[in-house]
Amino acid sequence: MWKRTARGRELHFYLAGINNQNFLMRDRETGSWWQQVTGRAIAGELAGSALELMPNDELAFALWKSESSSEHGHGLVLAPVAGHEKDYDKEWEKEVAKYPVPLTFPGQGLQDRDVILGVKLGGQARAFPLAKVRAQSPVEDKIAGVPVALVTGPDGESVRVFRSQWNGMNIELYRDAPSDGHSREWRLLDSQGNTWNFAGCATSGPASGQCLEKINFLKDYWFDWKNYNPQTTVYNH
Amino acid sequence: MKLRVMNRVDSSENRGLWLLLGLLAMFSLGLFMIPAFVIRPFHHQSERALGLAIAVKRIAPALTVAALVGVLALSVRLWRMSSRVSRTGIVMALVLSVASAVMVRQNYFEWMFHPIAAAGFVSAADAHLGDKEMVMAVRIGRETRAYPIVQMAYHHILNDTVGEVPIAVTY
Repeated sequence: MWKRTARGRELHFYLAGINNQNFLMRDRETGSWWQQVTGRAIAGELAGSALELMPNDELAFALWKSESSSEHGHGLVLAPVAGHEKDYDKEWEKEVAKYPVPLTFPGQGLQDRDVILGVKLGGQARAFPLAKVRAQSPVEDKIAGVPVALVTGPDGESVRVFRSQWNGMNIELYRDAPSDGHSREWRLLDSQGNTWNFAGCATSGPASGQCLEKINFLKDYWFDWKNYNPQTTVYNH
Repeated sequence: MKLRVMNRVDSSENRGLWLLLGLLAMFSLGLFMIPAFVIRPFHHQSERALGLAIAVKRIAPALTVAALVGVLALSVRLWRMSSRVSRTGIVMALVLSVASAVMVRQNYFEWMFHPIAAAGFVSAADAHLGDKEMVMAVRIGRETRAYPIVQMAYHHILNDTVGEVPIAVTY
């Protein structure tokens, strides 16, 4: 997701081509060509410009609903486009998984179409296999010296990445032990006696009311991530 | 004697015109086919090939019109002195040139991936979405939006404005 302004101009994008299974877009204002995944203009009047990333989440609908209603905001949902309801294929991920890959990057232990969460910090890129994050959440790691935690939410699908640092201190997050049969609200604990919700905010403890810094990440296929981040390392603990 | 020489000059000149007609028609077709061939959805695109495809796409609208003007002029010139078989060739060159000029103006990717002409929104309560369906979520100021991934994976791009910030939702 991008802010659609460059060099002070508002732009409107449309899909105009494919580059190694990654979309190319053009803007109606200048006709420049942009790579969707990098937000960079690769040809045309605006070549060399980069769009600013718009931080966003991929969440299960129920979670989004509960989070957005508690903020008293104006939560709106994109409605299906009339006439295309039947085109929305809930199994699209399985369909895409069958496509041939245009590039292959063996040697780092991942299959080309493995889904990874890509994080870039301080010029370093690291890929976290989604299956691993789901199994081990919270996954704690350091990228370019920055402590990060990758967390799957209460629904097991939604993922967020936080800078696991509070008040200048590195904190270690861990999952709350399930209490014998009692369903308790989902939360994380840390070594400082705080409890944290999935929004990354402390619900009790000394940090109460404060929130961890969210870190942007890209959910992507391994071959695509590796193509744009040739120096990437892979998390394999 | 005089007449025969004239004819010979004429026919060699004609051969040149026929060759030019054919080349212009093929050139026109190439302006459409080269990028279409490079940007095949399931194939690998090298940086050089993609650069060439985009460069061709950028000049193709103007060049196909120029080629078409040339083909038209040659067709008029050659039509009267041509046999029926040769006239078929002229018609083919015209058809190819017109088709290319039309096709380089089409965004056929939008035939496959239908854009959202006018986005509609509903409140969370009115959305017919299952609890587990994934959405792309964004919050700017006090406004929040959810874009169901199953819809974005089909349309791929949405130009939206949230909290007065113009954004491009891409998937």
